[in-house]
Amino acid sequence: MSEITIIDAPDLTGKRQAFALREDRVGHYDEFREFFSRTFNLDTVGLSKPGYLRAPSGMEYAVIFTGRSGEAFPAGVELFALPEALEPLDDDAVDRDLWAILGWMIDGVGAPWSRQDLETTGKVYRIPAMR
Amino acid sequence: MPQPAYTLTPEIADVWPYQPRYKQVNGWRMHYVDEGEGDPILLLHGNPTWGFLWRKTIPALLAAGHRVIVPDQIGFGLSEKPTNERDHSLDSHASNLICLVRQLDLTNLTVVCHDWGGPTGFSMALHEAHRVRSLVIMSTWAWPRPPGEFHTRIFPWRTMHAPLVGPYLLGKHNALAGRGTYLSVVGREQFRDEAQAVYEGVLPDPASRMLTWVWPRWIPIDESARAMERFEWMEAELSKTTWPSMIIWGREDEVFDADTFATRWQKILPHAEGPHMVTGRHFLQEDSGAEIGLLIRDFVANLDGKGA
Repeated sequence: MSEITIIDAPDLTGKRQAFALREDRVGHYDEFREFFSRTFNLDTVGLSKPGYLRAPSGMEYAVIFTGRSGEAFPAGVELFALPEALEPLDDDAVDRDLWAILGWMIDGVGAPWSRQDLETTGKVYRIPAMR
Repeated sequence: MPQPAYTLTPEIADVWPYQPRYKQVNGWRMHYVDEGEGDPILLLHGNPTWGFLWRKTIPALLAAGHRVIVPDQIGFGLSEKPTNERDHSLDSHASNLICLVRQLDLTNLTVVCHDWGGPTGFSMALHEAHRVRSLVIMSTWAWPRPPGEFHTRIFPWRTMHAPLVGPYLLGKHNALAGRGTYLSVVGREQFRDEAQAVYEGVLPDPASRMLTWVWPRWIPIDESARAMERFEWMEAELSKTTWPSMIIWGREDEVFDADTFATRWQKILPHAEGPHMVTGRHFLQEDSGAEIGLLIRDFVANLDGKGA
């Protein structure tokens, strides 16, 4: 069961966007691009608004899609945490959130990609979120 | 604005005492070492290393009276590190190398290729064939569809550099320069003590590590691969060459295993010497760098008719 929840656009008053992770080539394996397109209805929404997620720490994240002339949309995706405007990020919490978001993404992309492979990869490389 | 040059810590100077030199190549600042005199030997590294990989190999070549040139690919080592994914194509990196070789006007050149120093170095050699005397090949490839079975696997290869996963694992956590390289040597404790921090240290920020996850995505695994035509050209043209060539491989290399890769090189270059098997996984220079230096020294000496 995913720890990630897709949410409606939160009230951004008093919040800021804090960069967390960027992918310039989400269609490198096209099933990943298709997952985001399907999940956030991007054929209809296009660039008009971000997607939003709530992660295990309770932090909300904006999912910003980027386009590139001549390439299928979205070409890229950027994740931004949405903390209180002047509050520093809890880097460890953000890192665990990102790992959870990756697991949610892999679940959504589906076979032959698997969360088990992702987690084993995380263990091999000793990612803090897998310790 | 150009990025500031990365400064090595003083402790590294004992094992890397070479004067840093820089050239602008296609608008980027490329770091290289250029030591000694005589016929030049060009040592080319791959992902995620830099010239430091050749530190145990260089002394034997200098002692034998060669000029040794060791560039850091744009994106690695002490070279500038573009943060736009589109700056890191195979052709652009090959062109960067061509730009350096032309500026230095290198001729009678022995080109030594490892990992992505292969596809970039072979492209340079074929394009600048009049400058090349001989080839030395280790743990690399030059053919399409895919280089080996390992590279088709979801786990661990494709998962490691998958969309968003690559920027997280290899970017945010520097997994390839750290743990990944550690796992790809035989003498892991020695590597951890003397080298791992150096490889990690020259890629200090997630943005500086972009090429560590972009290069894996340039390995062709199906017909849609971006570099398919380049690799087809490379294999076809290399098979026509008659340059004296030598193959060196790591006995313990399970990523570019000798049965698949060294064997295929023997078919492409049937006149090549070797393969000489040495202790080593993919980063065989870490375990056998000095021995590799002697092999290259003797190989070039035989070209000169001097014999070792």
